[in-house]
Amino acid sequence: MHPLLTRRVWLGPYVLAWLLAGLLLAEFLRLIGPLPVSHAHAFAVPAMLVCGFVVLSAWWACRRYPLVSTPPLKVLSGQIGVALQASAVWAVGSLLWELVLVRLGDSVVMRADILRNFGVLFLIGIPLYLLSAVVHYLVLAFEAAHEAERRVLESQVSTREAEVRALRAQLNPHFLFNSLNSINSLVGSDPEGARRMCEGLGDFLRRTLALAARDSVALSEELALVERYLAIEKVRFGERLGIERRVDESALGCRVPPLLLQPLVENAIKHGVSGRLEGGVVRIEARREGARLGIVVENPVDEDAPARAGAGVGLENVRRRLEAFGAEEARLDAVREPGVFRVLLTLPARDSETEGSRG
Amino acid sequence: MADAKTLRVLIVDDEAPARALVREYLGAHADIEVVGECANGFEAVKAVSEHAPDLMFLDVQMPKLTGFEVLELLDPAPAVVFCTAYDEFALKAFEVHAVDYLLKPFGRDRLAEALGRVRERLAASGAGTAAAVAPPETSATPAAPTAPSAAALSAAARAPGQFAERLMVRDGALVHVIPIEKLDYVEAQDDYVAIHAEGKSWLKHQTLADLEQSLDPARFVRVHRSYVVNVERIARIEPYAKDSRVAILHDGRELPVSRGGYQRLRERM
Repeated sequence: MHPLLTRRVWLGPYVLAWLLAGLLLAEFLRLIGPLPVSHAHAFAVPAMLVCGFVVLSAWWACRRYPLVSTPPLKVLSGQIGVALQASAVWAVGSLLWELVLVRLGDSVVMRADILRNFGVLFLIGIPLYLLSAVVHYLVLAFEAAHEAERRVLESQVSTREAEVRALRAQLNPHFLFNSLNSINSLVGSDPEGARRMCEGLGDFLRRTLALAARDSVALSEELALVERYLAIEKVRFGERLGIERRVDESALGCRVPPLLLQPLVENAIKHGVSGRLEGGVVRIEARREGARLGIVVENPVDEDAPARAGAGVGLENVRRRLEAFGAEEARLDAVREPGVFRVLLTLPARDSETEGSRG
Repeated sequence: MADAKTLRVLIVDDEAPARALVREYLGAHADIEVVGECANGFEAVKAVSEHAPDLMFLDVQMPKLTGFEVLELLDPAPAVVFCTAYDEFALKAFEVHAVDYLLKPFGRDRLAEALGRVRERLAASGAGTAAAVAPPETSATPAAPTAPSAAALSAAARAPGQFAERLMVRDGALVHVIPIEKLDYVEAQDDYVAIHAEGKSWLKHQTLADLEQSLDPARFVRVHRSYVVNVERIARIEPYAKDSRVAILHDGRELPVSRGGYQRLRERM
């Protein structure tokens, strides 16, 4: 079915346009030969209306001769062939209609006029069909572009879904194993502490899942998650793990991709603090500078420790999250200086109004 | 247990709650004496030489020295039960003849089972050298308990398919960690190798061939029967006598280069 026939909204104006074209044709026919007004109208208007539907055959022809994959000569010859056929069918149909009109005897028309009308219709039918073919090709090209765009969008969505999945995997099972081991230990020595840790772990996991389901979260929410993560790790590492937070009030409301900071802080502990005999301080800084939000996660590293292979994966994950966030101006820079590893994030400072959520 | 001998145990883990848990579990066993707790590999090496424990509960990932690197430095090593949250080290653990491998979190019963295995192996090996125990999987075929070779230990201490990134040398209770890029050259001296780095040198009980295997062949070349050199340290090579040459290092030191060594050098430079 031609899409025009399924869309009623467009069908009305389309029919109207061809009816007007029918009136024009009637005037034209009267110009080139003596025809009674009523006959000219009774003949030309229905003929033109039929023409409007005959030229829609271009829709099938255009798909049979697609521009991209057909040699131009074949397109041309094929379409002209269809044009001739369509025009001939239309002209013959119109001729029969005119004969019916004459037979009904509403007016006197010369045979020469009838033949001339047939010829005129056949001749104008060809360019009308070709015009229709051009319009159809344009519509098809537009649709193809639209389709390509839709596919790009679709692939973007699936990429983002993959990100979320990767992220869940990033929620390291070893963190859970070690935490459970700590709880196991506390049950004996400090049952109240064990309870607190169960609660903290549950709270952390629930928040992680809740945040992961969203497009963006306020920095304050992300920091609250990190806070809970650090509280759990603090039980494991005790005095060896220090935390320093310097966050501007104005930065707290900025939107960030969810679970952006937690992997960075996890890296800071896994590849930094835990590798040092004396432990160290994880420093988290967030500052809003005009249209930009700058976040720093910094940790000391053991000088002798070789750069560990696993460290890059977490950073790459965060980098892809930034891209999926749709912020082209967003950047991640990782700097290793003597004794210090620092990750700098730069994001556009967006406020809470533009929040969107995903089901 | 038939063997009523008190087991002297060392607990090595960088996390205090993890140590406390093992200590608590062990408290239920009357014939166990905990001789110490260590929070890192250095302390562990020191404590083993001070207390000579029969058994060591050993974490894998710790600051400075991993559990495997600790084992590489101990000779003889006590019986070892690894305790870790990572299951990917299990194969390696049995390559270095660990008695058992406890995955965190583990319960009382699992630890008791490990202790049972330790006693069995200690009894089988004649109550003496504790490290000589076969992995549980192969215990059906009672293989002659042999201590793992130094090569097996150092191979286990690094990731598979990778070369050593640092060398560990023990000097009494002191442990030196030498990053591989600071290594100048290694010299064979009987059963030992002399490791030269940053103008100092350390002796290690290992053969040059074993050590050579753990080094990246793109960076270290055996230029002579008794010398492996860091290619980056070589300033130039000069003829010395018929068929032999001498490599002059950036610091002016001269190392003999054999004909075969010269061939290997030319291939790599």
